[in-house]
Amino acid sequence: MTIPRDRYRTVIVGAGIVGLFTAYRLARAGAGPTLVLDRGFLSSGGSGRNGGGIRQQWETRSTIRLARESVRAYRAFGREFGYNIWFRQGGYLFLAESDAELARLRGVRDLLVSEGLPCRLVDPDGLAALVPGIARGAAVGGSYLASDGTLYPFPAVWGLYEAVRSLGVDVVLGAEARGVSTSDGRVRGVVTAAGTVGAETVVNAAGGWSGEFSRSAGLDVPNVATRHEILATEPMKPLLDPMVVRPRDGLYFSQTLRGELVGGLTVPHAPGTARGVPSSPRFLASMATALVGLLPRLRSLSVLRAWTGYYDDTPDGFPVIGEDPRLPGFVHANGFGGHGFMLAPAASRRVAAAVMHERIDLDPSESSPARFFGPAAAVRAERLQLG
Amino acid sequence: MASRPPRKFWAGRRSRSAADGETILDALARDGFPNLVRSVRYHRPRGPFCGTGDCTGCLVRLNGRVNVRACRRVVEEGDRVGDGNAWPSPSFDLLGVLDFLFPDGVDTLRGFRRPAWARGLYHAVNRRLAGYGAPPDPAPTGPAETPAERLQTEVAIVGAGTAGRAAAAAARAHGRSVVLIDRRTDVPPEPGVELRAGTTATFLSPPAGNGVWTLLSFREPEQGVLVRARSVVVATGSYDGPLLFGGNDRPGVVAAELALRWARDGRRSPLRGVLVVGGGRRASAVVERLGSTVVAVTAPADIGPEVTRAASERKIPLYPRSLVVRARGHGRVRAVELRGRSGGPRFSVRCDGVVLAHRRLPVAQLAFQAGAERAWNPSLEAYVPRTGADGVTTVTGLYVAGSAAGGAPDGSAESGTRAGASAAASASPAGAAATSPAAAPGPLAGYYRELLRERRAGKWVACSCEDVLLSEVERASARGYAGIEVVKRYTGLGTGLCQGRYCLPDALLLLSILEGRPPSEVGFITQRPPAVPTPLGALADLGDSISSEVIP
Repeated sequence: MTIPRDRYRTVIVGAGIVGLFTAYRLARAGAGPTLVLDRGFLSSGGSGRNGGGIRQQWETRSTIRLARESVRAYRAFGREFGYNIWFRQGGYLFLAESDAELARLRGVRDLLVSEGLPCRLVDPDGLAALVPGIARGAAVGGSYLASDGTLYPFPAVWGLYEAVRSLGVDVVLGAEARGVSTSDGRVRGVVTAAGTVGAETVVNAAGGWSGEFSRSAGLDVPNVATRHEILATEPMKPLLDPMVVRPRDGLYFSQTLRGELVGGLTVPHAPGTARGVPSSPRFLASMATALVGLLPRLRSLSVLRAWTGYYDDTPDGFPVIGEDPRLPGFVHANGFGGHGFMLAPAASRRVAAAVMHERIDLDPSESSPARFFGPAAAVRAERLQLG
Repeated sequence: MASRPPRKFWAGRRSRSAADGETILDALARDGFPNLVRSVRYHRPRGPFCGTGDCTGCLVRLNGRVNVRACRRVVEEGDRVGDGNAWPSPSFDLLGVLDFLFPDGVDTLRGFRRPAWARGLYHAVNRRLAGYGAPPDPAPTGPAETPAERLQTEVAIVGAGTAGRAAAAAARAHGRSVVLIDRRTDVPPEPGVELRAGTTATFLSPPAGNGVWTLLSFREPEQGVLVRARSVVVATGSYDGPLLFGGNDRPGVVAAELALRWARDGRRSPLRGVLVVGGGRRASAVVERLGSTVVAVTAPADIGPEVTRAASERKIPLYPRSLVVRARGHGRVRAVELRGRSGGPRFSVRCDGVVLAHRRLPVAQLAFQAGAERAWNPSLEAYVPRTGADGVTTVTGLYVAGSAAGGAPDGSAESGTRAGASAAASASPAGAAATSPAAAPGPLAGYYRELLRERRAGKWVACSCEDVLLSEVERASARGYAGIEVVKRYTGLGTGLCQGRYCLPDALLLLSILEGRPPSEVGFITQRPPAVPTPLGALADLGDSISSEVIP
């Protein structure tokens, strides 16, 4: 674990999808020497632990637009990066269990249609066609957008990793960033286990560890690492095309290319989420209950494995993108709340712009770190957080 | 056993019969070596390998259920056994052409990206090829659901072998209540102990502040069993380890366990002439039991006196210190190519089976899952839970005994007794590990180093559940992906139904060679729950009793 140079124009903390995509954008723009540091091995964090869902059904225009841009980027990924991410646009189906929930999804549908995305509402017969064997009365309807889909996360990480390295970016794995060095009120470098490395700009793309890293730099941020659990079943032949999401309990699942059902749901964890805690019996039992309740035919299907990861949550559900006004040179690229993979291709363009002091094409009230402490307190929120 | 009339069932559109209490696999094996499934990517013929319900070699569709292990399910009158993942049948599968079309495998990581218009087609074809069986029927037939069972005890013991029984007796002697569970159905009772046979432990979760362990288990087909205990002894024994060679996944390559099972009770085994691999006690047991159906014995290293004696009585040729290079044959092993390790030409041994008895490895997923620290055992060339002499692990309230802890079989009783006493007395955990120097590569690593230099033909399957080839592991390594955790994610090795049991031990040795560092530095795959694939129905039925727990 040695760092090749002692000075970089930019040091990115986190070699996950956001950090690597940002490094790629910077390298392509010729933004000077770039280093990416990661505390673990490649794909050891959220980028290797997510369910691969990519959706454009959101409740705010800004997020819809970021997601739509990401969908386009992922469609072109194979051509650009040489790895096949098997992005399958099998749609996302949000289930409504009551008329009130259906009314909410109708609002989402209207917003998407106004953005040019052909989202549609689905009646119970439509649900039965999309989810073969769905329990009678399990939902009153849903919203469906066919161009949403799922991808295989790992090859995206490999493709980006190889691309940035061939562009001259240094990637050092197993090197934890422990803080920043500052002088005259701005960032001068990053402190690592292997010593301090000089940097004009530090990008915090540490995912579930980004709150800790910001705080180690003396910045009070509202990011919370929330443990999330997920499981995969044994593989079987195709049963299901879309990702299915139920907002009430956060249930989501889809069938991967290999035939496994992969999904999770929200189970409350004790506050102050501890690190290194493995899967819980409670999650397995709750997830099994939810799946069998929705699709009774799954009773005999076996769970193959379960794992945990961390969401990097913000109070309003929007990510944090841009330079922190309290510490010039410290750029946030975090707070994706479990949707980093979904938004990284588009979000990384804005992060790179922030690093290069260019204009960021985002509404500051929905992206800037200042929204949490500045005079312009957050007024909106993105609440369609699940799946 | 009281003799009851044979049971009739259906398999491959034919009516069959099974003795009372006989498994589907054993009943089918009466008519010859059963080919029940095709592999997941290349549709290679596969046969049963392990005989314990861990491999993917006997997955069938049973009464509308998917991925049922034929070796574990006892035949019920009127059962309908269907084929999985093959068309028209596993013995003649047209999709098997994929294996011939892609002799060097396919690269799903980098291939199939172009042309853009064909992407939908690639997805559709790939999805249909993947997976084993069709999704479960909306309303499968079968026995009525049995309600979940909940048990509370002071000491829970997993595994009713020599070590587990000794631990149970010791904990009883200390006045503790004991629940003893075992996956096998034919386990004799133990006085004063709540025995649950046919119960598979899958998820051992440490106490969340209240000092009570949670052990999720299930009984076939979908009954949930929940055990709560103050302390837990893992005595899950050992299993026959894998061996990598060309065509190592061919039907007829079996673990010693399955060969022994089929040679029991004077049955007519579908294995008629086998090559036994191994030179130790396990191999000698195989030679003793299989007798004249053994055509030769080979071993990666020397062949010990017990095997030599058993073989010479039967005039069986011995090939010590040899490389098993390749199994020939397609739907069934026909011959095996060997080469002496000191050099010389390859030679061929005609046989219809290869029995792997060269290596016993600990079954310790439950202990690792619960957070027990691991230690590299240089003589096993594998990881074992780090234990003190009295079976204590690094986790409070968790004890490991017998061969699950890496112990020799003749020490199991004593090891069990000590672990049972420790569990009864809630002995304190072992302290943190002193940093030990990296272990030098062992003899099996040396064997593989030599084997990798052999000219290769046919597919070398590094992970048979997911059809991951040795060449894919080598490609990952050549591209700079190092360590087992990354190579697992890059290739998919170790992510299949056996939970890494039959690929991980060899993968650690192979990566150590490819990366030029000791196996203990290649890392380890996080042992994720469940330890054995567990039906959603069993977990759902336990839902209400654990759905209010606080997770730290």
